[in-house]
Amino acid sequence: MAILEAKGVQKIYTTRFDGNQVQALSNVSFTVEQGEYVAIMGESGSGKTTLLNILAALDKPTAGEVLLEGRRLASVKEREISAFRRDNLGFVFQDFNLLDTFTLKDNIFLPLVLAGKSYKEMNRRLQPIAKKLGISELLAKYPYEVSGGQKQRAAVARALVAEPKLVLADEPTGALDSKSTDDLLRIFNEINRDGQTILMVTHSAKAASHAGRVLFIKDGEVFHQIYRGNSSNEQMYQKISDILTLLATGGDRHE
Amino acid sequence: MNKGFFPKLAANNIRKNSKTYIPYLLTCIMTVAVFYIVKSLSLNPGLEKMVGAQTLMYTMSMGSWVTALFAFIFLFYTNSFLIKRRKREFGVFNILGMEKRHLAQTMAWESLYVTLIGLVGGLILGIALDKVMFLVITKAIGGEIALGFFVSGKAIETTVVFFIIVFFLIFLNTARQIHVANPIELLKEGHAGEKEPKTKWLMALLGLACVGVGYYLALTVENPLTSLLVFFVAVVLVIIGTYMLFTAGSIALLKLLRKNKKYYYKTKHFTSISGMIYRMKQNAVGLANICVLSTMVLVMISSTSSMMLGMEDILHTRYPNDFVIYSDEGTRERSEKTFADIRALQAEMDLNVTDEIQYTYLAFSSVEDGDTFQVTRSGSLMVMDSITNLIFVPLSDYNAIMGTNDILEEGEILLYSNRKDFDYPVLKVFDKEYAVKKKLDKFLGNGVIAANAANSQFIVVRDMKEMKDLYKKQKEALTDIANKFRYYYGFDTDAGEEEQSRFYTAMMDLLTENGFLGSAESRFDARTSFIGLYGGLFFLGIFLGVLFIMATVLIIYYKQISEGYDDKERFEIMQKVGMSHQEVKASIRSQVLTVFFLPLIAAGMHVAAAFPMISRILALFNLMNTSLYIACTGVCFLVFATMYVLIYTLTAKTYYKIVSR
Repeated sequence: MAILEAKGVQKIYTTRFDGNQVQALSNVSFTVEQGEYVAIMGESGSGKTTLLNILAALDKPTAGEVLLEGRRLASVKEREISAFRRDNLGFVFQDFNLLDTFTLKDNIFLPLVLAGKSYKEMNRRLQPIAKKLGISELLAKYPYEVSGGQKQRAAVARALVAEPKLVLADEPTGALDSKSTDDLLRIFNEINRDGQTILMVTHSAKAASHAGRVLFIKDGEVFHQIYRGNSSNEQMYQKISDILTLLATGGDRHE
Repeated sequence: MNKGFFPKLAANNIRKNSKTYIPYLLTCIMTVAVFYIVKSLSLNPGLEKMVGAQTLMYTMSMGSWVTALFAFIFLFYTNSFLIKRRKREFGVFNILGMEKRHLAQTMAWESLYVTLIGLVGGLILGIALDKVMFLVITKAIGGEIALGFFVSGKAIETTVVFFIIVFFLIFLNTARQIHVANPIELLKEGHAGEKEPKTKWLMALLGLACVGVGYYLALTVENPLTSLLVFFVAVVLVIIGTYMLFTAGSIALLKLLRKNKKYYYKTKHFTSISGMIYRMKQNAVGLANICVLSTMVLVMISSTSSMMLGMEDILHTRYPNDFVIYSDEGTRERSEKTFADIRALQAEMDLNVTDEIQYTYLAFSSVEDGDTFQVTRSGSLMVMDSITNLIFVPLSDYNAIMGTNDILEEGEILLYSNRKDFDYPVLKVFDKEYAVKKKLDKFLGNGVIAANAANSQFIVVRDMKEMKDLYKKQKEALTDIANKFRYYYGFDTDAGEEEQSRFYTAMMDLLTENGFLGSAESRFDARTSFIGLYGGLFFLGIFLGVLFIMATVLIIYYKQISEGYDDKERFEIMQKVGMSHQEVKASIRSQVLTVFFLPLIAAGMHVAAAFPMISRILALFNLMNTSLYIACTGVCFLVFATMYVLIYTLTAKTYYKIVSR
């Protein structure tokens, strides 16, 4: 079953300065199936972030539509949009976006508190996730007291704790060293194996090589996509590198 | 780089950073204005004409130095916010190839602009405010007051020199900061995480104890004269306690709330409490400042305004009749002769007398001990608290004046107490025991006694025989410092001001001519000096009060705005994680509300605790009208709170705009 469907998504910005129109996305269509792990790759300015914002209901497409479990995001009322986001989507950001005023535990609890869950319920949900992510010992610490990798794991825990239908990750490894990157990617694989659907936007070939499917975006369109099939991470990495070379040298579209 | 580059760049910087610069400039202007006003008030020649001029002048010049210190700290503090905001910009300039000395040069120009704007704006505002306040208050009290409007060249000079030094020091500090930092640090500045404050339980409890003891002392103080020291201790304790409670107590309380999981993990409390812990860390001292300042303002304005409004009351207590003659002539006959002379003068000058009273009285002081009043020559004057004036009046005089027909048996008295109630059925003095037949709620006025700060018991005895008996006993006890009988003659008139004034002069001439022993007073004559004295106090009270309120409000406004930029990021994250606009708004409101109204509420409590003491001090000034003081305090508090709410609404709006982009 398709959990996320993007149909002919187009986004045109009108610049504030002179009224010129800039097309960020021209026509993007794809679907993400339940339990999939999809990476979206593209260079800077290819429209990745715009796409992610639209998928996260932070922005509205100029044309086309996005469906989450068959429900059109555009049909969610403005007042309910925040509640909708926190019930259905989990976010992992490049710069973690943890609050300095909260301990890691309270940071993870934030979406649950907003959803009005009881403390007992929150704790029940937290324990297995914290254990899986290896941050059980760090819960009482503040973000400025832990490393970048630990921060990102806490952020992942925050994304997972509300049991979202879809986790959206925006360059999750962008601010991490290589060891923390490996750890995080392993964690993503593990939670994906447990059935969590993940959509990751990245321009790191290494990060993308862990995904089940990679979409390439160029000039506001899906340029190409590759499936993992039975390939190993290394083979996947090779495939991705080939495509990226092709993209960089300006090859024609091919499926 | 050409010559005009740095001045232009500096002007541009100010314009581009107007969001942070405008509040800073306003703060500078305000601070300069406040300093100028306090300084020029302290140099105002009118001060010399006021009662207690020495003390007032001393206090005011102390006040101007306190203001200077306050201005210095405050400007440094606000500037540090500004610089923190702009370090990133410096970093970019630096990386783009501007050398540090170029940056310093730009900052020098910016400082110059700020100094100029601050000084010119501040002096103009200061002089204008001075003038406006003077006009408003003169109009309000309907008379000339001792403190006139006055532009002081010396004050302007001091202000200019002082602030040039302050701004120069601020510039040096900025230049130093730019000099020691490297571009990367500059770029990253403002992103360093802040540590959670520690809980200082001991300090919190100590603060609580200080405030508690202070309150207890202030509430239980009986006689303001003897306990002035106690009251002072109470004030100091409360101030110290306030600082401790705001700094340590607030954080302890918030952390306690955070420990309560059921309470803490609610949408409404979650973000507010954690936010408040950090907010209090940065703001506690500022908030305590505001609280103490507000308390002072409220006490100052409410007491001076109730004195102003109660002036007629005070005047009537102190001067029971339009004209009063207190005769020390010793015998009734000789006093009668003087009074007859004055009556003749009334007829001669055609002064229309509407009412007159005349009575004999005997007054001496005693030491109160329960229901007994001891009269001894060596009576220790150290026990100021229990010193009581006893004033005896024969029943015949009392009945004649009050138009009553009270009858007293042997050993019975009527009693009126002016400041402290007498709660016993029997009053003992010398070897006599008097049964209190009735307590009076009104008595023949006596200004000389009213002017005395000690408590007084007015006692109506059966007849002159009893009076003479008391006189003899008193003479034995006090020997050479014993008092004689005195004779009071007071009369009212419906004559105009000029006529009264003329009569007063003629009467005084006559009395001097006759070698009269005693004193004579005119209420009309006194009113003018009363208005001068109380009006001056009132003016000072209102003026300093309004000044402090404005300063207070600016501090809060500035804090809120500068914090808005810090909070912006935080709320952005919360929105990304699924907090709706409404929830952000609610969280902001509850935090801003707490920060804003905590000092106001605390100030309200302090004022309430100080109430009994202040009303006793006012009683010393013969203002017995407690309900007037209550009303004044209430109105002052309401006006103050209204201003506060207004600023709050404005601030919350701006703050929200910043936070939600």
